[in-house]
Amino acid sequence: MIVCLAVVGHENNPLYIQSFTESDDALKLHHIVHCSLDVIDERVNNPKKSSPAINEAFLGLLYPTENYKVYGYLTNTKVKFILVTTDLDIRDADVRNFFRKFHAAYVDAVSNPFHIPGKKITSRTFGERVSSIVKPFGLNSAS
Amino acid sequence: MEEFPEELRTPPVALACLIGCPEVHPLITAHLHSQQPPINAVALPDFSMIPPKKPPRDTLEPPAGIIKRDWFSKHRTRIPAVVAAIFSSRDVSGDPAQRLQVCNDLDKLKASIRGRNIKLGVLVVTKWNDKDNTSEERILALRKRAEIDSKNLIIFVPDHEPELQQCLSRLWTVLGELANTYYRDEGRRVRSRLEKKNYSSMELNVRYCFKVAIYAEFRRDWLEALKLYEDAYHALREMVGTSTRMPPIQRLVEIKAVAEQLHFNMSMILLHGGKVLEAITWFRQHTANYRKLVGAPEVIFLHWEWLSRQYMVFAQLLETSSPNALHVPSTAPVAEEKPTEWEFHPAYYYQLAASYLKEKNTCLEFAISMSVDVGSFDGSAESVVASAYLGQYSRLLEHEDAFIMQPLTDMEYAHYALAEGKRFKDSFEIIALLKKSFEAYSSSKAERTAAYCGLQMAREYFSLNDFSNAKQIFDSLANLYRREGWLLSLWEVLGYLRECSKGMSSAKDFIEYSLEMASLPETTGFSESFSKDCGPAGPATPSQREKIHKEAFEVARGESELNSDEQNSAFKVKSDYPIYLEIDVISPLRVTLLALVAFHQPMVKPGGQSLITISLRSQLPINVEIDQLEVQFNQSECNFIITNGQKPLSSTDIVQPGHRVETAPDLVLATNKWLRLTYDIKSDLSGKLECIYVIARVGPNFTICCRAESPALINDSPLWKFENRLETIPIKDPGLALSGQKAIQVEEPEPQVDLILHSSGPALVGESFILPVTVSSRGHAVHSGELKINLVDTRGGGLLSPRGEESFSSENIHVELVDISCDAPQDQSEAPSDKIQKIQPSFGLISVPSLDMGESWSCKLKIKWNHPKPIMLYVSLGYLPRSDEPSLQKVHVHKSLQIEGTTAVAINHRYMLPFRKDPLLLLKLKSISETDQTPYLALNEKTLLIISVKNCSEVPLRLLSMSIETEVKSDACTIQPQQEEFREAVVNMPGEEFKKVFTIIPKVKSTKLKIGNVSLRWERDSNATSSQVTKYRLPDVNVELPLLAVSLECPPHAFIGNPFLYSVKILNQTEILQEIKCSISDSQSFVLSGPHSDTMLVLPRSAQVLTYMLVPLGLGSLQLPRVTVASVRYSAGLLPSNASLLVFVYPTKPHVDLKPPGDA
Repeated sequence: MIVCLAVVGHENNPLYIQSFTESDDALKLHHIVHCSLDVIDERVNNPKKSSPAINEAFLGLLYPTENYKVYGYLTNTKVKFILVTTDLDIRDADVRNFFRKFHAAYVDAVSNPFHIPGKKITSRTFGERVSSIVKPFGLNSAS
Repeated sequence: MEEFPEELRTPPVALACLIGCPEVHPLITAHLHSQQPPINAVALPDFSMIPPKKPPRDTLEPPAGIIKRDWFSKHRTRIPAVVAAIFSSRDVSGDPAQRLQVCNDLDKLKASIRGRNIKLGVLVVTKWNDKDNTSEERILALRKRAEIDSKNLIIFVPDHEPELQQCLSRLWTVLGELANTYYRDEGRRVRSRLEKKNYSSMELNVRYCFKVAIYAEFRRDWLEALKLYEDAYHALREMVGTSTRMPPIQRLVEIKAVAEQLHFNMSMILLHGGKVLEAITWFRQHTANYRKLVGAPEVIFLHWEWLSRQYMVFAQLLETSSPNALHVPSTAPVAEEKPTEWEFHPAYYYQLAASYLKEKNTCLEFAISMSVDVGSFDGSAESVVASAYLGQYSRLLEHEDAFIMQPLTDMEYAHYALAEGKRFKDSFEIIALLKKSFEAYSSSKAERTAAYCGLQMAREYFSLNDFSNAKQIFDSLANLYRREGWLLSLWEVLGYLRECSKGMSSAKDFIEYSLEMASLPETTGFSESFSKDCGPAGPATPSQREKIHKEAFEVARGESELNSDEQNSAFKVKSDYPIYLEIDVISPLRVTLLALVAFHQPMVKPGGQSLITISLRSQLPINVEIDQLEVQFNQSECNFIITNGQKPLSSTDIVQPGHRVETAPDLVLATNKWLRLTYDIKSDLSGKLECIYVIARVGPNFTICCRAESPALINDSPLWKFENRLETIPIKDPGLALSGQKAIQVEEPEPQVDLILHSSGPALVGESFILPVTVSSRGHAVHSGELKINLVDTRGGGLLSPRGEESFSSENIHVELVDISCDAPQDQSEAPSDKIQKIQPSFGLISVPSLDMGESWSCKLKIKWNHPKPIMLYVSLGYLPRSDEPSLQKVHVHKSLQIEGTTAVAINHRYMLPFRKDPLLLLKLKSISETDQTPYLALNEKTLLIISVKNCSEVPLRLLSMSIETEVKSDACTIQPQQEEFREAVVNMPGEEFKKVFTIIPKVKSTKLKIGNVSLRWERDSNATSSQVTKYRLPDVNVELPLLAVSLECPPHAFIGNPFLYSVKILNQTEILQEIKCSISDSQSFVLSGPHSDTMLVLPRSAQVLTYMLVPLGLGSLQLPRVTVASVRYSAGLLPSNASLLVFVYPTKPHVDLKPPGDA
C-alpha cells in the first residue's frame, strides 16, 4: 500500500505531500521523504557508470527503511517525486508504471493556467486524481 | 562491539606453551608474537600445569546448553596446541642424575598432553662455545625419548646473534606447523562426528559446527570457517521452533545470543576479507530472520535491545573494516536486491540501532509500569549470574560452602531482566549512537538525513530536560526546514523550541518561537496538519495557531507568567525585564512583522517636504493592535512617533521632548493586510536620508524593532515563496510599490557663487595656453574654498600617448596642466598654511581665499598641449557659505569647458631642379615604378628646396625666423642660406601660405643623406606671448652622380622676325662613349635651322652642343619646338616640360635696356 506521495520542488521544498494512512504518522513520513532527498542528490550528482540509463527518470529504490520502501523519480524539469510504500516485495515495473501515471497527472496539474510554477499544488482535482491512481496500486501488487 | 570479549573481536591466534629454562622465554615469546601469522606463547614454569581432559560426555544426557561461554577463550588462552619443552644442554649432556631428571620431566609432560593430543617440540639450549660439545648421541636419545621427528628438535643458541635468528625462525616454523596439525586433527575429530550425524540433539549439531569453524579459524582457513558458521547458523534457526529444552523466554534468549555470536564471527570474516556486499546481505538476512521473533510480551524490550545491539555491532564492524572496502566491491552479483547507498554507511546502522534502543526504552518503561511488583522480588535478582553456557542465566546458590547453579523459571528471568533494565539509562547511549550517525551523515553531505538524526537526538535531550543542548540542535534543524519549506517538520521543531525556551525561562525566545509558529503558512488541504503527533505544540491547525498567538501576547504584555512545569520558576515580563525583539532581513520573524518604507520622490530640496509611506504587514492569525510606532532615520532630527488614536498616551510612554508625534486613527494589523501610513517629512541636511528602523510597541514592556526595507528590494521569505496566497501591494501607488526606496537624496543648497571660465578660442600646440578662471560671489561668502581642476580626454582614454607607459615624461603627455597662478592675496593675514596647491599633469587643486559677498577672485591656468587633442576641462569649486559652522556641508559649483588643441603651422617642402637643366639619374629611373617617395638629388648640382609654412590656426601668427639645422655638422651638402631672421616679422594670416627658398648642393654620394630639421619660430600676433618653435624634419634624400646632364639654353624673350640661338648641351660624365639620339619637332610659330633628327656620339667626360637657329613667326608666349634627347645605352630620354619651353616674343624691341640673350 502506498502510504505517502510527495512532489518536491527545485529548492527541495515540498510542492505536494499527501499521506494515505489511517494512523498518525504523517510527520514520520514527512521525515522519510525529506531524508530520501539526500539519496536523490547523491544519485543525481554521482551517477554510477554501471547504471543502464542515465537519462531515465525513474531513480529506483532510494533506501529501505525497516517498514517502508522509498522510491524516487526525477522529471526533466528536476521536480522530484517520492513514493513511500509498505509493500516490501514490490516489482520495479509496477512502481515505474505508477510514476508514469502520476507524472501525467502532475503535468496536467501544472499546466493549469491558474497554477503558478514553483508554488504548491493545491488543486483538488489533482488530489482526487492522485487518490484514484494510488488506490488500485495497492490492490494490484496485493493480488 | 565492546560487549564481546577481546578474544572474539580479534582473529584467533594459535597458542603454544613453553616449559623449562624460563630465562629464554621472553626472547621466544616476543619473537613468536611478532611474526606473521603470530603465535601466542604462554610460559609454564612447571611440567604439570596442563589442564587434563575432561571425561567423555555421556551421549544419552541432553546437553545443558548450546555453546559454553568460555570454550573459545579456553582455547585461546589456556589450552595450547603445541608444547615446546626446553632443556639446557648441560642437563642433557650432564651427569646421569641430571639426565634422569630430563627424562622424567619429559615423560610427565608427555603423559599430560597425550589426552588432549597436544603436539610436542623440544628445544635444547646451548652456548655458542659449547655448541659442538653436545653429543649427537645424547640428542638422538632425547629425541627418541620424546618420540618426535628430528626437525621438531631444535638446538637453541641464545648468545650468538645470527645463529639465534635462525633458531628462532626455525622454532616459529616448527611450532606453527605443529599447531596447524593440532587444530586440523581436532577439527577433523569433531567434524567426523558431524558427518556421521553422531549427535543426539540440535544443540550438539550447532556446537560441533561452531567448534570446527573455530578450529578452521585457528588454521586461517576462512572459507571452511565461514561454511561451518553458516551451517551452525541455519541449524540454530531451525531450533527456534523445535527446541523444548528450556522455558520459552530463556530459550529464545539463548538462541538469539548464539545467533548473535555466530553472525558476529561471520561478519568479521567477511569484512576482513573485504567482502562488504556479502556481509551486508548476510546482515540483512540475519535481521530479517530474527526481527519477527519478538518473544514474550513482558520481556519484549529484550528483543529490541538485542536488535539494537546487532545494528550497533555491525556498524562498528563496518566502520573498523578497511575504509576502501566501504565502496561497492565488484563481487559477483547477489541474487537479492542490491543494497542501496546508505547501507554501506555505518551511519545507517547506528541510526537504526538508536531507533531500536529507543523502542526498547519505550517497551521497558511500559513493562516496568505494568509490573508493580518488581520491588517485591526480594532482591534475589542480585544472585542471578550468567551461567556457563552462552545466553543462559541461572541463580547462584550458596549451599554448604559450595555454589550451586540453579536454573531459573521464566518468571524469575523476566524479573531479573526488568531489574537489570532499570539499572541502565539508555538515553545517553541513544544520543551517542545518534551523534555518531549524525556526524557520519554530515561528513558525507547527507544534510537532511543528518538532520533527522539530529531531530531524534534533540528529542532525546528534550526528554532528559537538557534544554540547552536540545535547543541548539533544534535551532539548526529549524534553519534547514525553514530554508526548504517543510512546514510540518518546522512546526514540530518550533514546538519543541518553544518548550525548551519555557524550560530555560527565556521569555524572549518563547515569544519569538511562538510568533513564528503563529505566523507560519497554513497547511490547508493536507490531512497532515490535523495529525496529532506533531510534537509538543499539538496539531498545526488554525485554532492551535491562534492559541499560540494569544499565549505569546499574554506573556509579552505581562498578563501571564511564563512558567516551566519542570523548574517551578515563573518568569514574568515586567518593566525590569522588558522584551525587545529585533527583526532584520534574514530573521524568520519577518513574516510576523514586515515594515516597508518608501519615499514618494527620489530627491528633495533641503528644507522641502517629502511624503513617506510606512507599510506594515503581519501574517499572525489574529489582529494585533500596536500602541505606538516609532520611525527612526539616519538623521535623528527626522525621527517621529505615531501613536494609536484609540489608546490614550499613557504616562509610561517614552516621548522625548522636541520629537514629532503623529496620531493615527488606529494601528491594527490584520492577517496579510497592509497597514499603510503616509506622512510628511522634512530634512534640512543635504545628503542621504534613510529610514532605518520602524519600532512597534505593544504593551508597556514589549518592543519589536523592524529594520526598514525598500519595497523595490523586497523578497519573500522562503517559507511563503511557495504558498498560494493573495499578493497585495504594500503601497496604493503600484509604481511606488515596485520602485519605492527607503532612502531619499536631499540635494545641496543652491550655490550663490559664479565660476567663470574665460575661453579664448582653441589652443595651439606647443604654446602655454592661459585660461583665466574667476570666482565671483553673488550671494554667498566663500570660506575654505577649494578649486579642483581636471583635464579629461573628450574621446575617453588618457591624456598620455601610448608610449607614455614606459617613460613618463612631458613629451609623452598630450596635454598637461603646467601651472596655476593666482592673484597675490590681498592681505597678509592669509596664513600660508591655508594654501593648498597641488598640480599634476591632469589634476590640480588650489585653495581659494575667503571671499565676502560681492568679491571675486581669479587665477590663471597654464595648460600646455604637446599634441593636437581636444580636452574637457572640469573646474569645480567647493566652499562653505558660513565660516562658523564647520559641520555644514560644502556647496559645490561645477563648470566645464571643451578646448580644442590645434596645430599652429603646417610645414611642407619641395625639391626643384634648376631651370632647363636635367640630369639623368639612373636610380631614379629604376625606382619610378615603386612607391618610393625618397627624393633623388644630383651630386654636385644645385637643387632648390622650397619650404612652405601654412597657418592652420584661426588666429594670425607672426613668423620670426626660419632655419635649417643639419643634424651633424658635415660637408655632405651645403645649404644656402643656413638661417634667416626675418627683418620684419612676417604676419601669416589664417589659411595663408608662406614660402622660403633654400638651395642645396649635395657633396657626397649617398642613398640616405640626412638633410636636417627646419625650425620655425613664431608667436601669436595678438598678444606678446613668448615665441614658440615648431620643428619639421626633412626626409632623407638619395644623392647620385648624374650620368648625363642635358641643359637647354635659349634667351628669355625674342622679337618677331629676329633669329635667336636655341642650343641643347649634352654632358657625358661617364668614362664611356655615349650614343645619343636627338630630334626636334616642327612648330608653326618658328622657322628653324639645324639637325632635324640625328644620332651622335658624345665622348667620355666631354660635352656636345646642338645648336638651332630659330626665327619667331608669331607673337606672345610661344611654345618652342620640342627637342627630344635619348640615350641609347640607358634607353632613357629627356622630355622637357612644357613650362620650360615657353618663350615670349615681342613685336619690337622694347625700350628697355636688355642684356644680350646669350648672357641670360
